[in-house]
Amino acid sequence: MKDAFFRLINISKTFPGVRALSNIDFDLMPGEIHCICGENGAGKSTLIKILSGAYQPDPGGAIEFEGRKRTLTPRLAIELGIQTIYQEHNIFPHLSVTENIFAGLEIMKGLRVDFDAMRKKARETLDYLHCNFGPDAIAGELSSGERKLVEIAKALVFQRKVIILDEPTASFSVSEIDMLLDVVRKVVSAGIAVVYISHHLDEVFRLGGRVTVLRDGEHVLTAHSTNLTEGELVRNMVGRDVSAFYSRDFFEQGEIALEARNLSGNGVRDISFKAHRGQCLGFAGMVGSGRSELMTLLMGGAKKDAGQVLVDGQEVDFHLPSAAIRRKMCYITEDRQYTGLFLKHSIARNSFVANLVNMKEAFISPREDYAVGEKYIKELGTKAENADVLVGNLSGGNQQKVVLAKWFHTHGDIYIFDEPTRGIDVGAKTEIYHIMMDLMRQGKCLIMASSDMPEIVSMSDRVIVMKNGRIAGELERGEISEESILSYSIGGVAV
Amino acid sequence: MSTDSKRSFGIFRKNSELQTVVTISVFFIAAVLLYQIVNSLLNTGTIQYPSFIYPSNILNILQQNAAVGIMALGMTVIMLTGTIDLSVGMMTSLVAIFIAKAVMDWAISPAMAVIYAILICIGLEMIMGSIISWLNVESFIITLGGMISCRGIALLISNSQEVAMRQNLAWFKANVFDWFNPEGVKMFGLKLNLPYYVIIFFILAAITWAMLKYTKFGRRIYAIGNNPQAAFLSGVNVKFTRLMAFVFNGICVGIGATMQLVRVNTGIITVGQNMEIDVIAAVVIGGVVMSGGKGSVIGAFIGALLMGTITNAMTIMRIQQEWQFLVKGIIIIAAVAGGALSEILRRRNALLLRRKDADQAQISAKA
Repeated sequence: MKDAFFRLINISKTFPGVRALSNIDFDLMPGEIHCICGENGAGKSTLIKILSGAYQPDPGGAIEFEGRKRTLTPRLAIELGIQTIYQEHNIFPHLSVTENIFAGLEIMKGLRVDFDAMRKKARETLDYLHCNFGPDAIAGELSSGERKLVEIAKALVFQRKVIILDEPTASFSVSEIDMLLDVVRKVVSAGIAVVYISHHLDEVFRLGGRVTVLRDGEHVLTAHSTNLTEGELVRNMVGRDVSAFYSRDFFEQGEIALEARNLSGNGVRDISFKAHRGQCLGFAGMVGSGRSELMTLLMGGAKKDAGQVLVDGQEVDFHLPSAAIRRKMCYITEDRQYTGLFLKHSIARNSFVANLVNMKEAFISPREDYAVGEKYIKELGTKAENADVLVGNLSGGNQQKVVLAKWFHTHGDIYIFDEPTRGIDVGAKTEIYHIMMDLMRQGKCLIMASSDMPEIVSMSDRVIVMKNGRIAGELERGEISEESILSYSIGGVAV
Repeated sequence: MSTDSKRSFGIFRKNSELQTVVTISVFFIAAVLLYQIVNSLLNTGTIQYPSFIYPSNILNILQQNAAVGIMALGMTVIMLTGTIDLSVGMMTSLVAIFIAKAVMDWAISPAMAVIYAILICIGLEMIMGSIISWLNVESFIITLGGMISCRGIALLISNSQEVAMRQNLAWFKANVFDWFNPEGVKMFGLKLNLPYYVIIFFILAAITWAMLKYTKFGRRIYAIGNNPQAAFLSGVNVKFTRLMAFVFNGICVGIGATMQLVRVNTGIITVGQNMEIDVIAAVVIGGVVMSGGKGSVIGAFIGALLMGTITNAMTIMRIQQEWQFLVKGIIIIAAVAGGALSEILRRRNALLLRRKDADQAQISAKA
């Protein structure tokens, strides 16, 4: 067996309040494929960022590259020959493939850029990878699969030693996945080591090579994929302490408040479900499975292509979110700061804004909003001096409470939660769960999309698992477990 | 202890929007007064009442700046939504020429001509506003195109010539003080003149202030300026609200243009030339941020009067026009840079305060 040339020894990474990685060992041998698996939040992204020098590990660990201890920076990593290809494309859409490959590292002939030499080199590499586009193609016009190939070609041109691929096949078509896997095998046969991160276990097994599993920032196992079954892999990815789960009360199932029949649009297809009052319907699935897109579609934030949505048994057609709010729907969005809050404005203003739609009168009496803001500060236990405090100055958990205040003031009946506790500390998390439970007790209908496994498992009455914009499976209360959810979201394997 | 400091910090922040413009105004006025007093002392040996704050001069400043002020109201609404309108100056020229032409050559009554002019402004703003909202394109470029087009139309209908009027719109500048005494009211030996249009400016400013503060429409304006995505998902019809902001601006430009025409009494392309610069400068000095969502009408109101006061004071002090430009420019830069600087300092203070609190909490937790 060849010796590892790139090693992480006892690496930890702590963020304020969170330990993202603890005591990880990882090594890479020349010309091997090393896959990293784990649930959302297992620490994969953090590990990649340490490998690429974007994050510095906590003191106590060491990084060795070709036998030397190194402190990696993004620049040094590239000089050493480590190329990271992130999930989002780092290409210049208006430039040609050649210009993209050589961006910042142009071949010069005196003071002039030697375009011919660059194009020749690019063509050779593209031919080697069997790409069906030329060096003069405009990068922005390529498909997402082809853009990945451009980035891989760049690694080949500059003879990198390591390529790190972060979720390369997200939003790929089936043929593009095949194409990418072929290219990866080719790259490996050229002696380049590949670190491959993917949610899709079938890709992991098709590539072969070693697999490292992470769970909650800890190293679980490293083994050769030929010695593993999909079931074993899934079992290693799940399995948490009971303390990670929240125990909630269950309430009687009420009427159907929201129903979708073969709903399509905004990247999701053929979605049908029934959501009852007094219950929480969970939507699980990996990042990019279309959960948030579905939530936005339900709320009227995107155009519906086909299918029906029924609120309280009546068919509705929301062209705008305002129409959904009038039908007592609320949408606690995934990203508070970008789609939920007005950071430059006060708590009072933020709490007041969503209910403008329901207000009959055009005028707002002085300090009316202040009273509303104060009311919900008390009701939800928001930690703020008064309702005039700017929302931008609050912590994550308190910001989320302002988002809730905004929707409570509309007196909604159907609450769509997208990642209700993302980026919130443990204490505030429990408070949010209490609030959600109160809503269910009052007979409200809750719909929750989340990638937080313990959250989905402990808060949902029923769970719908999504994959590639479709429903992959549906789980009743007794069947909900991390393993059952994961087996549906990763690929219909029986565990 | 920490509670108290936080509270005082909160009040500080609340007033910060107006702080810069008020500070600059106070310093500027104080400087002018000091200059005049020292000057009179040196020249005559006695202290004279400074001519800068003669009631007649103050009314003069209001007269000179009512048009820019009214247009600043519309621009405030536009800029609060996170867009900008560069066409207001040329649109002023266009409708000024239109009114002059309509009254003098097309035999349309002055009142109707003014109403048509306002409708034309609303129409033009609606065209630009629709393109900006529905196609989601840069307002800077669309209104730049609008500005050039307005210039073209204005020159076409006037055959590139000026159209002189015969005081057909005199009602607009009828003096309010004539109500009290048809002979004219005098103070310090100078006749006071407060035309109706200044009153219109005040009323419109009050309406705009109330609209932004106490109506649903106002709340929506602020919301889409601060965070259009969040506003959309919170049930605000972003496109429609933005279009309405342009409509409101159209009304303001129409009225402002009429006032400007009343003052110069001639429909000519230079009536509104570079006016957009003064208007935007007034709004920006007043603390409305270019990215939208923050600022107030009061700020823009003071900003517009400050710009006018600067011109007026320097004219009284017999400073050449060349210098006036320089001083105005520096004041704009100082206002915005100073505002940003105080914001940075405030953030730093807040951070230190928070750290101190956290340390204190840790110490008390240990104890």
